[in-house]
Amino acid sequence: MSYLEALRGALGEANVLEEPVELHLFSKDASLLRGQANVVVFPQDADQVSEVVKIAEAHKVPIVARGAGTGLTAGASPTEGGIVVVTTAIDSIEIDLENRSAWVGAGVINLDLSAAAAPHGLHFAPDPSSQSACTIGGNVANNSGGPHCLAEGSTTSHVLGLEVVLAGGEIVRLGGNAPDPIGLDLKGLIVGSEGTLGIVTKALVRLLPLDPDVRTMLLAFPTVESAATTVSQVISAGMVPAALELMDQRMVQAVENWLQAGLPVDAAAVLLAEVVGETEGVEAEAEIIADLGRANGATSVEVARDETHRATLWKGRKSAFGAIAQLAPDYYLHDAVVPRTRLVETMSAVYEIADRYDLTMLNVFHAGDGNLHPLVAFDASDPETNRKVHEAGDEIVAICLKNGGALSGEHGIGIEKRDMMRTTFTELDLDAQARLKEAVDPSGVFNPSKVLPAGSRCFDFGGVRRKELPEGVWV
Amino acid sequence: MGWVTTEHPTREELDACVQCGLCLPVCPTFRLTGRETASPRGRLHAMSAVGEGVVEVDEVFAGLLDFCLGCRACEPVCPGLVPYGRALEGARAEIAEQVPGRKRLRRWQTTTILGSRAALRLGSLGLRIGQKLGLLRLTPARYRRITSGLRKLGGRGQPTLGHAGGSGEAGTVGLLAGCVQDEWFRPVNRTAVTLLEMAGHRVEVPRSQTCCGALAAHDGKAGAAHVFAGQNEEAFERYDMVVATAAGCSAHLAGYEGLGSSAADITVAVARAIDDGRLPVSEVDRGEMVIQDPCHLRHAQRVVDEPRRILEAAGFRPVEIDPVALCCGAAGVYTMAQPEASETLGNQKADQVRSSGVTRVASANPGCEMQLRSHLGDDYEVAHPIEWYLAALEEDGRGDD
Repeated sequence: MSYLEALRGALGEANVLEEPVELHLFSKDASLLRGQANVVVFPQDADQVSEVVKIAEAHKVPIVARGAGTGLTAGASPTEGGIVVVTTAIDSIEIDLENRSAWVGAGVINLDLSAAAAPHGLHFAPDPSSQSACTIGGNVANNSGGPHCLAEGSTTSHVLGLEVVLAGGEIVRLGGNAPDPIGLDLKGLIVGSEGTLGIVTKALVRLLPLDPDVRTMLLAFPTVESAATTVSQVISAGMVPAALELMDQRMVQAVENWLQAGLPVDAAAVLLAEVVGETEGVEAEAEIIADLGRANGATSVEVARDETHRATLWKGRKSAFGAIAQLAPDYYLHDAVVPRTRLVETMSAVYEIADRYDLTMLNVFHAGDGNLHPLVAFDASDPETNRKVHEAGDEIVAICLKNGGALSGEHGIGIEKRDMMRTTFTELDLDAQARLKEAVDPSGVFNPSKVLPAGSRCFDFGGVRRKELPEGVWV
Repeated sequence: MGWVTTEHPTREELDACVQCGLCLPVCPTFRLTGRETASPRGRLHAMSAVGEGVVEVDEVFAGLLDFCLGCRACEPVCPGLVPYGRALEGARAEIAEQVPGRKRLRRWQTTTILGSRAALRLGSLGLRIGQKLGLLRLTPARYRRITSGLRKLGGRGQPTLGHAGGSGEAGTVGLLAGCVQDEWFRPVNRTAVTLLEMAGHRVEVPRSQTCCGALAAHDGKAGAAHVFAGQNEEAFERYDMVVATAAGCSAHLAGYEGLGSSAADITVAVARAIDDGRLPVSEVDRGEMVIQDPCHLRHAQRVVDEPRRILEAAGFRPVEIDPVALCCGAAGVYTMAQPEASETLGNQKADQVRSSGVTRVASANPGCEMQLRSHLGDDYEVAHPIEWYLAALEEDGRGDD
């Protein structure tokens, strides 16, 4: 029996897609790199995922987990072919009010979880910009961040337990509501593993109380440096605002063109700052941020009038990547983190690199935690531009690392950042990670070729061998 | 084979999508299935694949697009400004041209019935008799949502087609009578004439007009849609404002090149008159009323406040049922073409109305109205916002000053 027949038998024909056009639509995520799925399946629960894993192992076929396909590093791209396992049908939410937590299906949309928790005065803190679309499974796989992770920490700080399907189709539950589970923190191993160790089907997540009060403000600056300096000074003033987001002029203009919200398009940079807590506290903190901004030359300081205005400001920030389409059909972004103290000089260097390569560069990023998202808008169908984007990208990463930074803040490694892992890790580090992968996934079917560059181990992974990337693709 | 017509989605239209995925959660069919193949991003991706020669325009491709409601909820959330509705019409025109068995059916439905007054009258007479004799219970299941959602067709006064009247101090309005609108929803058209004339407009309903062409365009009959559009552009070129009383029609008029910004939905025209003080505001508190947003009003035209202001001017307190305004599943001929999905969405919308505890509903589009009535049953009263408004004015004794 072929693995396709086996999958149809296990999941029913309605949950197995095989038409070429259908497979084409699941062959990439929101990044640039396209793979080629052999089949797409929609398991309804962990038992069915377990069946899929057993079939994949028996036939030595790769399995790639996918939620909403909003990932930015090709983590859900089936670059080695195989079975794309879409988790959107696993979408239950069970809220545990006493423990302020919830068991959530991997396919639940991030914002839907917060909407379900809101009537109880609770929310799920990690808020990636794609939170209206992205799924909890993807958040766990990439240890996703978001503007509000400045104060609250990224996904891993909010995962208490996991239901995971491992090699052999074994379904395990790791962690739980207990504050300090005994033994090794195995759930910590799975969070951020990008589907290379198993497939997460449910997560037990922490729910935080909604903030009693909030002030959201937009500060316009004459230079990117003055905005970045303000960020450093806010933090050194002893505050940890809920969010501190920076957008440069090109980005603001693209967003405003769509949003029509009266954003300051003449400013070289805008800072979106949010403080939360009790009313007296937020008023005092908002005042300090406004003062620091003005001291650094802010040309305007606008405080959100009401919840609608606040939602509009955030909508602008969180739709930024999509707005790039107005400038060019493709974009490539980096996700490097630098220490806040090096923010100003790193930003200047990044702009200098873009200018030197004559590339359209935009910046929209989590300034508060130094998580840059320098982004190049370009047309990927032009090979010469592709080459320039590639070289400029390498330089950008190099300068971030040189300034004491890290490769990725929150988007994951996938394939797009994979070969840059060597810039951060030694051969020994990579070998240790490869051994771990091998121990948990002996047959090598789970999202092969992702995260760890080829040759991390002195011999190849189990059954699935890495293929060369298609022509014209760069990582 | 790729694209073969001049209507096809252009590279520019498709390149405007960077596949960020923000359209997924607002798409009713993605919400129903959780599948990329049923999402706006997926459909655009498939269109791009046709343009690149990777995918053929065949039955499978057609199936992906058939499942789309055309509600355009994806457009207002798209930061890349992808003209999804236009791309969809283009792709459907290609399907009509390239996929065997689809072309004839569409032409027969769109040009012969919708473009002909006589055919519409005859069909409506048949429905009216059927309604009177209780025969509509016998309609095949696929059509029953339509027949059970119809208004009572008897005693509705004269058609508005050919009407001309009003002072004109606030400008001249050309009213699009619509195809089924003037037959099945005649009271809405008559109310529109009354209110616009009260507001100081001269209202004319020129006989030279025809169907707006929306249903034809949505079904891939681009040729017929262009013919309809051309005829209407000529019929309406001399008016200050061209108004349609069905959101589906006004959205389509707004896309006519020849009319430009003169096209408006009736809710916009009436709300403007209320704001200007040309139409009165009732002081009576009439209690709560559910407001349902037709997709082609809210998503396609971004008209959200106007119907609410009209209800408020009538003394009602609008009750919101759905913050994202997911489609009710009517979507033109969707009830017949995709009965299962339409049924689920209709039930969802009806549940939202029921959980509000309010039995009066305002809806500014005939398709939505029928779907709501059919799913809600006789205990609920569904009408156009301008009908609720005029009825309130008449109750106040201010109906015809």
